[in-house]
Amino acid sequence: MTLKKRAAQELLQGTLDMLVLQTLRLGPAHGYTIARVIEQRSDAVLQVEQGSLYPALNRLEDRGWIASYWATSENNRRARYYKLTASGRRQLSEETSRWDRMVRAIGRVMRAIEE
Amino acid sequence: MGFRRFLRRGRIDAERALEMRAHLDHYADDLIAAGWTKDAACREARRRFGNPTAIREEIYDMNSLPILETLARDLRYGFRMLRKTPGFTIAAALTLALGIGANTAVFSVVNALLLEPLPFPHPDRLAFLERHFRSPRGESRDIGADGQMWLTVRDHATAVDAAAIGGTSGVNLVANDQAAYVQQQRVSAGYFHAVGIPPVIGREFTKDEDREGGAPVVVLGHELWTRVFGSDPSVLNRTITLKGEAYTVVGVLPENFPITQRSSFTAGHGIDLWTPLKASTTGEGGGTNFVVIARLHDGVSWAEARSDVMRLAEQAFVRWRLRPDTLKELSFVPMQGAMTQSVRQPLLMLWGAVGIVLLIACVNIAGLLLARGSTRTREIATRMALGSGRRAVIRQLLVESALLAMAGGVLGLLFGWLAVSFLGRLGADVFDVWQPIGVNGRVVAATLGIALVTSVVFGLVPAVQTSRLDVQAGLAKTGTRGVAGASSRWPRRVLVLAEVALGVVLLVGAGLLIRTFIHLRDLSPGFDETNLVTMSVSLQDARYKETAQVSGLFEDALRRLRAVPGVVNAGVALGMPYTRLLNYGFRRIDGAHVDGEREGQITNQSYVTPGFFETLKVPVLEGRTIAESDTATSAGVAVVNRAFAEAYYKGDPRVIGRHISSGGTVREIVGIVGNTQQGEAGWAPDGVVTGPLTALPCAYVPVTQTSPGFLRLVHTWFQPSWVVRTTMPIEQVVPELRRAIQDVDPRLPIATVSTIGDLRGNRLAAQQFMMSLVAGLGFIALALSAIGIHGLIASSVTERTRELGIRLALGATTRQAMHAVALPGIALAAVGVAIGAAGAVAVARLLRSFLWGVTPTDPGTFAGVIGVLLAVATLASVVPALRVLRLDPAQTLRAE
Repeated sequence: MTLKKRAAQELLQGTLDMLVLQTLRLGPAHGYTIARVIEQRSDAVLQVEQGSLYPALNRLEDRGWIASYWATSENNRRARYYKLTASGRRQLSEETSRWDRMVRAIGRVMRAIEE
Repeated sequence: MGFRRFLRRGRIDAERALEMRAHLDHYADDLIAAGWTKDAACREARRRFGNPTAIREEIYDMNSLPILETLARDLRYGFRMLRKTPGFTIAAALTLALGIGANTAVFSVVNALLLEPLPFPHPDRLAFLERHFRSPRGESRDIGADGQMWLTVRDHATAVDAAAIGGTSGVNLVANDQAAYVQQQRVSAGYFHAVGIPPVIGREFTKDEDREGGAPVVVLGHELWTRVFGSDPSVLNRTITLKGEAYTVVGVLPENFPITQRSSFTAGHGIDLWTPLKASTTGEGGGTNFVVIARLHDGVSWAEARSDVMRLAEQAFVRWRLRPDTLKELSFVPMQGAMTQSVRQPLLMLWGAVGIVLLIACVNIAGLLLARGSTRTREIATRMALGSGRRAVIRQLLVESALLAMAGGVLGLLFGWLAVSFLGRLGADVFDVWQPIGVNGRVVAATLGIALVTSVVFGLVPAVQTSRLDVQAGLAKTGTRGVAGASSRWPRRVLVLAEVALGVVLLVGAGLLIRTFIHLRDLSPGFDETNLVTMSVSLQDARYKETAQVSGLFEDALRRLRAVPGVVNAGVALGMPYTRLLNYGFRRIDGAHVDGEREGQITNQSYVTPGFFETLKVPVLEGRTIAESDTATSAGVAVVNRAFAEAYYKGDPRVIGRHISSGGTVREIVGIVGNTQQGEAGWAPDGVVTGPLTALPCAYVPVTQTSPGFLRLVHTWFQPSWVVRTTMPIEQVVPELRRAIQDVDPRLPIATVSTIGDLRGNRLAAQQFMMSLVAGLGFIALALSAIGIHGLIASSVTERTRELGIRLALGATTRQAMHAVALPGIALAAVGVAIGAAGAVAVARLLRSFLWGVTPTDPGTFAGVIGVLLAVATLASVVPALRVLRLDPAQTLRAE
């Protein structure tokens, strides 16, 4: 894998991680729900390949930001539910503020060129 | 990635599979609810999801530890490679196992006897008293002390707790109506306090008990207490019959009480009980028959203790008649060093020998790995061509040799453990083993260390060499296309050279020890050795205080023994052939040499009964032997042997009729008999080098003409023996012989029953021990060298198949081809033998003190070893070269 591609993937991963954490702030959810919520809340703009969610979940769990358990879903099926941990909450607020800073910075740059 | 997730990754993967399945189902549910058909819904869900297998793989990889992954792969691959070449694997693992096993065994013994602290509390504070004489003629240091030295130190030393140990000897114990022969050690009051291990029950001896006329008391050893008294604590203050007298038990020692004195009388025996020393300055105390031990007081330095005892020298040596220019000193030496003195040299020699074996084993492993490296050139070249890095190749090869080392290490420990238990049993007969020999943690650590170092060092050399390989050349040549003389074979040649040279050194050592043993075994005994049985008893017994009681016992028993069917003749002597004799003084009264009133000679002496020389069939050279007519009242007589006549009557035209005075009795020499072989520590005249067996000078006197004082003294050290010549098988006649003696005195236990062969065997046990071990190691070295040479030649045949095929196709005879292959091996061996022989000359010098009847540069041994090694080398070279015969030139060329 080339370095460039890897960096791009890492950026994408970071964003996806943040989206997943943000989604779980609403409450515990299983993988399918998380994917649906991300799609709906972005008005179907962010249509990730749903499978790529799972490596992200594995990574987040390994870092201790989310925890998981098996439960019965609203469809009466067994599903694995994820919930935010305390350190996940802290991580989310850090990422949110970093994201805000970045969006504002990009916004300023974009405005400057327009004028 | 966490280690926990690494271990659980299999289960995590299974959960992910279920989870993704649930994801698809939920999606399909939603789509069906939105009006999709079931099939279409499933298809759509899968399309949007992506490839589940790929995702699972991605997660699986995320949960992996790369280093462990590759290690596991290398291990699997290594196992496979080792299994594919069982010949190599077995040879290498066995080589390592032999080297490591032998090392473990010998190191265990060295550790127990030399390195481990003595098994006493604070052993570093224990000392032996040493006497030290210096004069312009030389100096001597010795640990023995006489009565005056001991009493002086006991009464005047202030910096130490001192105690003395007397002789250890077998005595008769009658307890619970049973007579038993047990080992007694006599020690002074304060001995158990000084060594730091007091009795568990009762007390040790008081000063009152430890003087002449003191109460007869005894301290029992734990083993005897258990065996004879059933561990009964009420044994305290009970009376037992010891040495024919009533003794009161005052104490019992704890289990495994260690011995503190080596003695030529006790090797191989434990000690059963202790009695007070009751030292005086005459009799036993008139000679250096004691050993003084001391424990330094707390806070006293060695220098202070030494100067404390130094000031006592004048008083301690007041009875020594030494030339005025002799400087007499007393000192203390640490007990640890002094006790290990006698075993240090043989053990270090063994350690050296076993070190050579380990070196050869390592050299062999290196050779085998090198050979393996060269036959795997193609495989490695392929791997490197396919993108495997050099580091990966080296890592792979290192893992393989580490695997080998571990296998060899485990096998070696097993082999070593077996050898240790064998050595422990064998060694206990030869050395006084004061603590159990076992494989301990230190030994295991040392062994594993050796295995690891061997693996890394010798695994690395071939690994680096192989991986330096030019990939293209490797693939093109594949090892079989090169012409002879590839430079990569040089390291192996040097290894084989070293191996052969080391083998020569070890085998020469083994050969010299074997020659020594054969020399000692084949020494002319001086009598007819066949069909003789000896039976000894302890006469350190109150019931045998008078000469008449002793000679009466001998005569009564002899009468009965001679009546036993199958007994040809019988006699009694204080010392048997092959045993140590009594060292005793005498003066020559007349003849060409006369000793003054206050001068004297020391010689070996034994008392005998009529029939002794006749039973042994010792030749009578002149005069007569001891006869029935030599009684207590007749004129004093002595019979001497030829060595005696030669040592003390040199140049005197006649010896018969000369008179000697010994122990206050004047005796006429009435006969000269042939020499018999006697054991070490007998007295040898100046200039005679004594080995384990020597034809020592000896004076024989009739037992009837000895004094009660003399008998009492010698019976504290020696047990006299009956010797019987029989025509019956020995095992059949022994019960009869025992009964004959029991009939005379039912309360006199037989100490030992042995054949003359047993006596000689005991005397040569140490030599046999060393010889067997070194010869065994030498054999291992020879086998390893043969494996090394064979491996070298075999792989060179494999490497040169193509060249040889072409040579044969071009008209070379198989004979020439075989020469080309086998000669380098033989030439290498010849050079190695030459180097080794030079080394052996140097090393054999160190062996000098173990050699008897053979010089360190014995030409026969050297020639034999060189011959054997060259023969083995030739065989090891020719056998693999025979493969040339099976070579088909046409096939070889077609293989292009």
